[in-house]
Amino acid sequence: MNVLRRILIMGEMHGRDLTRRHAALALLIALPLSFYLASTRSGATAVSAGGVGMAFAVSGATMFSILSSIEVDQRLVLAGYRPIELLMGRLLFLGPLGLVIAAGFSALMATLSHPARPWLLVAGVGLVALQSVPFGLAVGAALARELEGTLVLIGVIGLQLAVELTSPVAKVLPFYGPSRLISSSLTQDGPILGPLVQTSLYGLALMILARLFVARRVDVQQHLPHADVADVAHPGEPELDEA
Amino acid sequence: MTNQLVVSGVTKRYGRTTILEDVDLTVRGGEVVALTGENGAGKTTLMRICAGLIRADRGEVRVGGAIGYCPQSPGLFELLTADDHLVMFGRGAGIGRSESIERGHDILAEFGYPLHERAVTRDLSGGTRQKLNLALALLTDPNVLLLDEPYQGFDRGTYVNFWDHCETWRGQGKAVVVVTHMLAELERVDRVVELPAHPSRAHHGFAR
Repeated sequence: MNVLRRILIMGEMHGRDLTRRHAALALLIALPLSFYLASTRSGATAVSAGGVGMAFAVSGATMFSILSSIEVDQRLVLAGYRPIELLMGRLLFLGPLGLVIAAGFSALMATLSHPARPWLLVAGVGLVALQSVPFGLAVGAALARELEGTLVLIGVIGLQLAVELTSPVAKVLPFYGPSRLISSSLTQDGPILGPLVQTSLYGLALMILARLFVARRVDVQQHLPHADVADVAHPGEPELDEA
Repeated sequence: MTNQLVVSGVTKRYGRTTILEDVDLTVRGGEVVALTGENGAGKTTLMRICAGLIRADRGEVRVGGAIGYCPQSPGLFELLTADDHLVMFGRGAGIGRSESIERGHDILAEFGYPLHERAVTRDLSGGTRQKLNLALALLTDPNVLLLDEPYQGFDRGTYVNFWDHCETWRGQGKAVVVVTHMLAELERVDRVVELPAHPSRAHHGFAR
């Protein structure tokens, strides 16, 4: 029960923090929108660009939320939180927020671009948003600085946008599954179950990776307890000068 | 009083630079120890090792219960209020929302924090942020207090008040370690422990 409460509090506080960042929130919506609107004349490409453009916004917000608070995260672990609870708290807020933005955005794309299966477009863009959270967490936890993290985001998501879905490179990128769903939404056939399973497994792997890296960054060493302390004789402190 | 903090043979190196070598330190309950030393002597490193935030290369630390750690610079969420921080830190120790705020306000009031302020921490002055930082370290009533120059930015009154509080904590049986450069206040502590600048650092450009 306490675990759940700690995760809920972390989710709530990250929510408060992000909702006070009005410019960041506006960009969160504007970024995928600009990707889409800039390429509407390209037909199918616009839907893919807009959909995967969601990844820039949501994974960027997630990565910055973790990189900007490493110091305070470690204090929170000292205060009693587990590293996984800090991650789950972020997931709890950013996941649903991404889904809400994805719902609105994909509704707009469905209206303007008339995909053959609009519901699949909603699912694909929603999966991009969901996948972006563990991806942003993993990048933020693995890299110590914002510049490096941002470059990795640009590199990976940019590559996802640049290469064809049939390319072997595309298949190892984190947004391959959601991209296939978005692509499938434009036609009456195309795979659904495979991309769903692949995205789930990839997301799980990213979450495990984030957990491993964040534990390395914020874990607190538990010292021996009181009973042992009382048994220790005064060591005389030979290395220090006492005034 | 029993020993509440025992540091034995702690050594820490960063690359080829030795920051701490074979350091021992014992602090009993009801004792206030001032930790002094030159810049780069490893005071903050030792405090962070004691808090468990970094690992020593060698040696061990034993503590007699909960640790309250107040870092030199406040690590806070810039867009959260003081109450948000109190709730979040309190929950880590299993304290409920209203109790965390109540306890936190009591501590903040003692240090003259402007409780009527509902501002996010980004909009607070450095000294006010530091008061919150200190309150977070004290929130769960820990019996080992590791305070790394906790009075940064305090006005004169709050600064004097801080040293009065050290005496209160001593009376409550807490083990208190304060990193300080304020030599005028050293008469108010039980012991002054000076960390020597290690000779190996002279070869790597550290201040001597």
